[in-house]
Amino acid sequence: MFDSYLIRKDSLENVYEDGKAVGFKFAVRIADYRGCYLSLHNGYYISVDGAEYPRELQSFEINGKAPRSFEEIKKCVWEHWDYDDEGYVYVKKDGGLEPGKHRIGLQQSVLAQYGYFPFHDEEWVKNPPVPGKGAGAGKTAFICYYELELSEGGNK
Amino acid sequence: MGIKRGVSFYSYQQTQFFGKMHWKDMVRELHDNLKCDGVEIIDESTIPHYPFPPEEFIYDWNSFLARYDMKAVTKDIYLDVHQFRDHVMTHREAAERLKYDIRLAAEMGFENVRCLCLVPIDVIEMALPTAEKYGVRIGKEIHAPLPINTKGKKQPTQGMAGALSIHMVDEVIELARRTGSKYVGLVPDFGIFQFRPTDLHIAYVKRHVRNTDEVDWLLENSKNFAPHDLDAAQAAFKAKFPHGELSMGEIEGLSLHESSADPEDLRAIVPYICSMHGKFYEMTEIEGQPGHYEDKAINYADPIRVLNEEGYQGYIDSEYEGQRDQQDRGEEFLPNEVEEVRRHHEMLQRLFDATPNKNG
Repeated sequence: MFDSYLIRKDSLENVYEDGKAVGFKFAVRIADYRGCYLSLHNGYYISVDGAEYPRELQSFEINGKAPRSFEEIKKCVWEHWDYDDEGYVYVKKDGGLEPGKHRIGLQQSVLAQYGYFPFHDEEWVKNPPVPGKGAGAGKTAFICYYELELSEGGNK
Repeated sequence: MGIKRGVSFYSYQQTQFFGKMHWKDMVRELHDNLKCDGVEIIDESTIPHYPFPPEEFIYDWNSFLARYDMKAVTKDIYLDVHQFRDHVMTHREAAERLKYDIRLAAEMGFENVRCLCLVPIDVIEMALPTAEKYGVRIGKEIHAPLPINTKGKKQPTQGMAGALSIHMVDEVIELARRTGSKYVGLVPDFGIFQFRPTDLHIAYVKRHVRNTDEVDWLLENSKNFAPHDLDAAQAAFKAKFPHGELSMGEIEGLSLHESSADPEDLRAIVPYICSMHGKFYEMTEIEGQPGHYEDKAINYADPIRVLNEEGYQGYIDSEYEGQRDQQDRGEEFLPNEVEEVRRHHEMLQRLFDATPNKNG
């Protein structure tokens, strides 16, 4: 679902700390027709120009709060990501991205479910699926690709 | 009176996603253009800050529906058993979520909550006193690939069909009879009368799979497997394409060649129906009948005839689902949800009027 529209096209920019680029970020929407309890959000498969950036390098900004790691997000069991709301995915990368166009591969993992699914329920508590394999990818089972231009706004 | 028309706001999910329609615009579309009054929502897409909406929203909701003389028919509710992440939700916890959602439905004036097929029957039983207290019926959805009457079919062991109890309808009716409660029933989804994969879905999968022969082979050969026998379809597929790319879910969807339920079986469950989901994917003009539309993958005529014969006078709420197979391309390929629902209502009303309703 929303395969071509999960990342806002003009949202890719570098993230700076103390004047140094420490990574990049982009704006996303939920790949479903409903929002979710925030705790269910389990990270992303992200590749940029062929290089993968695993969940440990990612954080997520939503509900007006500072970016949180997916270990922290997991504990937000009473917070909700509303269907209408955009979040920002932050990815650590020394030096950020080079100016120009980038090819981003994305699969969102949200452990939303329609009730009990005995084939994997207990396993997902112990070993949540690694984003990118289709499991826990909700309504968008394929990895989606986006050609995005690094926004000038990021070069502060 | 006859059967009544409504719309699940699920139908407008894409328009909402792009910020072009708010729930109030949807209410106006129903009132001004579709001339119907049945409203169904997805709780987690319409209610802001679910599960704790501001009181102002509740008041605004009830007031706006009153202004347009709308009827809050059914609120679709969910069960995410991994919410707490450190354990799989117990059935008692699941019942607490259900009770909470029932109270919220009552505050918003809904008659029914639509409870999912994978919600265990004991969870519903635990929440039944709450449903009675608040006057909200719990309608369990009959969703494909479930039958209404199993007709001796055995329980599948794989995929979604394997997780669903094939006897779900019997379990709900047994609970209603044993407790004597009118607050538990069924929400049949017209997807159970879908008898072939949609052209939209076939095209979508073909755009994403390296070898489109896999898709064509399944479409040509699926009739050789027993309907909904996923084990057989998967084994045959693997034998033909040992390194095939299609997932189990895609094999299940593309092998569809007979509806999971028989329209005649509706007769036995009409007294238990809370409301129905008018699932559809694409409304195309019927050849030689300008202005008349049909969904080529779902049988509507027979189920509606049976419902009329049995005197069903509840709601069928349009549930448009064709958008998701068209969102992998540019904006010029996005369907118009508003137009699709208008066409669906043309078909519904025409079929309602085609045969008399037993109850007038």
